Amino acid sequence: MNSWYSCGCTLALTGLVGCSLVEYSPNQTHMPATERALTNQALQRLQAHPKGKSDTVRFVFVGDTQRFYDETEQFVASVNRQRNIDFVFVAGDISDFGLAREFRWVHERLQQLQVPYLTVVGNHDLVGNGRAIYQTAYGPLNYTFRYGGTKFICLDTNGREYSFGARVPDVPWLQQQLQDTTGSRHTVVISHVPPTDEDFDPALVPSYTAALRGCPRLVFHLSGHVHRFSAGKPFHDGVTYLTTYSLAKHRYHIISLWGQRQFRLETVTYGPDA
Amino acid sequence: MASHLLLAVLLASPLVAVAQEQLANQTSSPSLLGRHQKYPMPANGDKKPWYRPRHVVLQTGGGIGMIAAGVGYGLGKDRNELDILLGYVPTKYAGSSLSIATAKYTYSPFVLPVGERWQVRPLTIGGYISYTHGTINDEEKGQYAKGYYWFSTDTRVGPVLGSRLAYQRRTREGQTRNISFYYELGSNDLYILSYVQNRKALSVGDILTLSLGLKADF
Repeated sequence: MNSWYSCGCTLALTGLVGCSLVEYSPNQTHMPATERALTNQALQRLQAHPKGKSDTVRFVFVGDTQRFYDETEQFVASVNRQRNIDFVFVAGDISDFGLAREFRWVHERLQQLQVPYLTVVGNHDLVGNGRAIYQTAYGPLNYTFRYGGTKFICLDTNGREYSFGARVPDVPWLQQQLQDTTGSRHTVVISHVPPTDEDFDPALVPSYTAALRGCPRLVFHLSGHVHRFSAGKPFHDGVTYLTTYSLAKHRYHIISLWGQRQFRLETVTYGPDA
Repeated sequence: MASHLLLAVLLASPLVAVAQEQLANQTSSPSLLGRHQKYPMPANGDKKPWYRPRHVVLQTGGGIGMIAAGVGYGLGKDRNELDILLGYVPTKYAGSSLSIATAKYTYSPFVLPVGERWQVRPLTIGGYISYTHGTINDEEKGQYAKGYYWFSTDTRVGPVLGSRLAYQRRTREGQTRNISFYYELGSNDLYILSYVQNRKALSVGDILTLSLGLKADF
């Protein structure tokens, strides 16, 4: 009964790999319970190690992990060798095709970090049903947190994914968050698409940049999306805009914040070129 | 675009077939009326019009629906099969309710009889193309410049590989009809690309999907 044998073997093998393989759609939102609300989980871990209001906050800043899984593993190994890092921030495009499995593949690797990691949603994360997947896996698209006297405002600026229409980014929400300075000494705004990019809703560039300009506590505006480092004051209004590398560039930034609006930017190279 | 057209044609063909059949029944000559057989069965076998589907299919998983149902055709001694499926995923599992149209072609080179009534097809290989309707961000016209996202968010293609176990029942007329259970391991273009570019980080197991299904001849 060779056929029975071969059939039995194949079926048993199939049984082994389990039911999580039974995927209804690559666009499905289903996540195991431990892989939901990751933003909240990370913030709880972060707040478990509180900092004084006057302490220096030091965090790793990188963008665009999308489909760079080999590089993400090298990145995690490098960050885990750093000392005195409070958290890691990934500036969007966690996934490339906005598929649930991609988010899980990235999280599987980033959860190996010794410090919590936080994210903001990127345009690729909004492809297909990515918005619902991001909301399930991480949480709200716009959120804030405070750490060591710094208020971090993280928001969705991927206007093109909503066919523009002056709705994203949510500028009134941003203004409100910039005004509410309770318990913080300075403010940092993080988004995926910078307002200098053509994927940012052109109708909202004036109000968005004006809101930032109106906040004297703002240290700078951080973004990913362009896969390279840039720093400057493109709107000639005193507001600094920084962009960071994608994982493919084998480089990340370490940002230190202290004092009123002081900061230091270090660049770390990792992987085969390091 | 061509893939969408192909899919539309494939989806329409069983409907057209049924319609033609009904039309043929209605217009058959009066002299045959009463003796008209729905499917003329010559003594030497089980001949049916080429366009009539041979089996119905019900499947879960494989990236083409929580539940996918459809019809299929057997070709070349029934070792090749073409199935047309419509799948559904409710909002609870996908953030929006998804309808997925799929055309799947499989080939089973070995058919092993087991006893009188059972049959095993240890290997089934094939591929599918699916089109998903109802995603949240559905690429509105003019939203992106050409090639902004080089991949389609709606159309997936991928290979499948599996096995099948069939039970042969006999109809009152003495014809054989199979009811079979199958499973298929599959993947899709985007998962495969992810694996190819990340051979160290990802394993083949990471990109596999499993589907379980039933097929019944009728």
